[in-house]
Amino acid sequence: MTQETKPEERKKRRTATEAASRIGAMSKAMIGNVLRAMEEGRPVAYAFIFCGYDEIIRAMDIVPAWTENYAGICGAKRDAQRFLERAESENFSRSLCTYALCGIGFDSWREELGEMPPNPPWGGQARPTVMLGSGQMICDPRYKWYQALQHYMPDVPVYVHGMPWPPYENDYDYREVQDYYVKYIVAGLKDLIAFLEKHIGTKMDWDRLSEVVDLSDRTWNLISETYDLRKAVPCPMDTGDAMNTMVPMTFMMATQEAYNFFKDLNDELQRKIANKEGVVPDEKYRLMWGGGLPSWFALTDFNYFNSKGAVFPVETTYRLLEPVYKLDLPKVSDPLEHLAWRWVKWATYRYDKARKRPGSHPDIEHLIEYIEEYKIDGVVMHEAFSCRSWHPGLIWQLNQLKKVYGNIPSLILESDIVDISSYNEADTRARIDAFIDTLEAVKSRGR
Amino acid sequence: MSSQYFVGIDLGSTMTKVVIMSEAVVASVIGPTGPEHRKLANKVMEEALAKANLPFDDITYVVATGYGRINVPFADKQITEISCHARGVSWLLPEVRTVIDIGGQDCKGIKLSHGRAVDFVMNDRCAAGTGRFLEVAAEGLGVKLDDMGRLALTAKNAARISNTCTVFATQEMVAKLSGGVPLPEIIAGLHEAIAARIYSMVRRLKIEREVALTGGGAKNIGLVKALEAKLGYSVLVPPEPLLTGAMGAALLGKDIVKKAAESGVPLARSERRLREATLFT
Repeated sequence: MTQETKPEERKKRRTATEAASRIGAMSKAMIGNVLRAMEEGRPVAYAFIFCGYDEIIRAMDIVPAWTENYAGICGAKRDAQRFLERAESENFSRSLCTYALCGIGFDSWREELGEMPPNPPWGGQARPTVMLGSGQMICDPRYKWYQALQHYMPDVPVYVHGMPWPPYENDYDYREVQDYYVKYIVAGLKDLIAFLEKHIGTKMDWDRLSEVVDLSDRTWNLISETYDLRKAVPCPMDTGDAMNTMVPMTFMMATQEAYNFFKDLNDELQRKIANKEGVVPDEKYRLMWGGGLPSWFALTDFNYFNSKGAVFPVETTYRLLEPVYKLDLPKVSDPLEHLAWRWVKWATYRYDKARKRPGSHPDIEHLIEYIEEYKIDGVVMHEAFSCRSWHPGLIWQLNQLKKVYGNIPSLILESDIVDISSYNEADTRARIDAFIDTLEAVKSRGR
Repeated sequence: MSSQYFVGIDLGSTMTKVVIMSEAVVASVIGPTGPEHRKLANKVMEEALAKANLPFDDITYVVATGYGRINVPFADKQITEISCHARGVSWLLPEVRTVIDIGGQDCKGIKLSHGRAVDFVMNDRCAAGTGRFLEVAAEGLGVKLDDMGRLALTAKNAARISNTCTVFATQEMVAKLSGGVPLPEIIAGLHEAIAARIYSMVRRLKIEREVALTGGGAKNIGLVKALEAKLGYSVLVPPEPLLTGAMGAALLGKDIVKKAAESGVPLARSERRLREATLFT
């Protein structure tokens, strides 16, 4: 019986920074805020992080409920299985994205009961006023998930705006087509605002939107500057913590709270660097988390790496966006146009670089840039079985990286983001041990 | 100066292997691991010492490897099987650049450079592509596991086994048998299926010649031939392919002792008393 499934025992991860240790409470408060909004009749929108229009949601005082991340929380609390099983019993395939399955399982159960499923993690996921899909050419569940949810919530309207960008090709200049993309995005954002005004009943305050856009620009700049501090040796914060600090970066983007968090983190990292405080006392190997979402139920694996003298000063996951001052943005007064240009320029940021290196690709340039800037000894990736869009390309990236750049030790971990039945701690750690051996072998004879 | 002796003990999921080395191999023992293996490392060790006619006190250094390596309480050090296989194969066959190790419950590909592992891939998730696949199939067909390889080579054609899952492949195999497909053809098809599975994993490493095959799978001539067909060239098989991990462990122990002597740093050693692991008692 799925209802009787109990969460598995969960080990708490040791954080390196004080800022990261506050994230659990922040996330819990955020989920609580969504539930309160629902109870008070304030508008709640199901949405996806990196949707590209957080500013619109915030400027209209809509409370976002990040559904992928609620699934991640269920996974981290090792309490996702009963929701996955629930979705499976509704005939959704186990091969689908487990974020979506967990969310669909939870929502279908809540809708059937007319109340939260028993003992929901952190109080549960609120029933939304609207659902805002956002595919971004990387992920089909971000288009289809909410449409599937309308089977259970036919009264909740869905709006899907994909926020596209010019695809990378090595034989054309994206600038030839970028204006079309900007126009398309702006038109879509205008439609989105009209949809929200209709269903939420609040008019957009355009001055406020401009202020919020400015705040998010400043926050992205601050995040980049803060994460750049991790280049220090010894590294003061690693990917284990960054998988926590993604919370203010993504769940709280375009809020003062997010800006303040990164200001505090920046101060803390500067203090640590001044005191030469590293994540591990004797830093032997500097690794990059080169792609893939983590197994949220196994973040203690980062501590295991640390116990072997390995740190992760950088990750490509959740570092998709560059500081705004690095982008070649035209000066525009319309905040929607600014959002569109920023989006297109983020996506195309490494296109020129990739075209200069035969066989390369923007994602590979991203890896190369970090390998050099952060003095990386090895790359670790995670192949999550349930992700069919982003994760399958990782092995290709790794192979291509070795072709165009050179050999670098690499490790591919295999499991899932939410489904704990895919994970075996002993095997994972045996692989990590073997990887550490290969790093040592490569280091001892010089790359 | 009296001889120094080094022990490598490889506690695999199916077989336990012990090698005692000095300048060459002095003694070796291979025995089934069995369900009690975590408690029995000391028994296998006793047997190897008796074969070498050595008291345990004469052993300079003990390295444990394999899945059960943490359950060898008298080991001086634990080293991963990837490093041990790399060292063992390089010692036996220095020309080898890629090792494919087919164990009872996992399969590994190891890339070698200057005698050390510099990259690897592992399948420890799925029985297909491991010795377990053939074990289950042999049981289902009522054929001795040791006869499977030889029988595969007698087939004129190989039946196509399209399922990669061990459970479903077994069902498919039984269905084919009922449909009148000759047994050797089915067995040949199984060997092709397992070889395809292993090849698709190991090719991630960019396979370089020479290739050595180790582990229990290397003792199956049908599998060796099926893999050679996939690769398009011959592979090398050490004289006793089950022992390369244990041999590498002993050699790495020797390296460690030599390095410690050169640096003058004393080496920590476990008490020379054979005892069973208490973790599971």
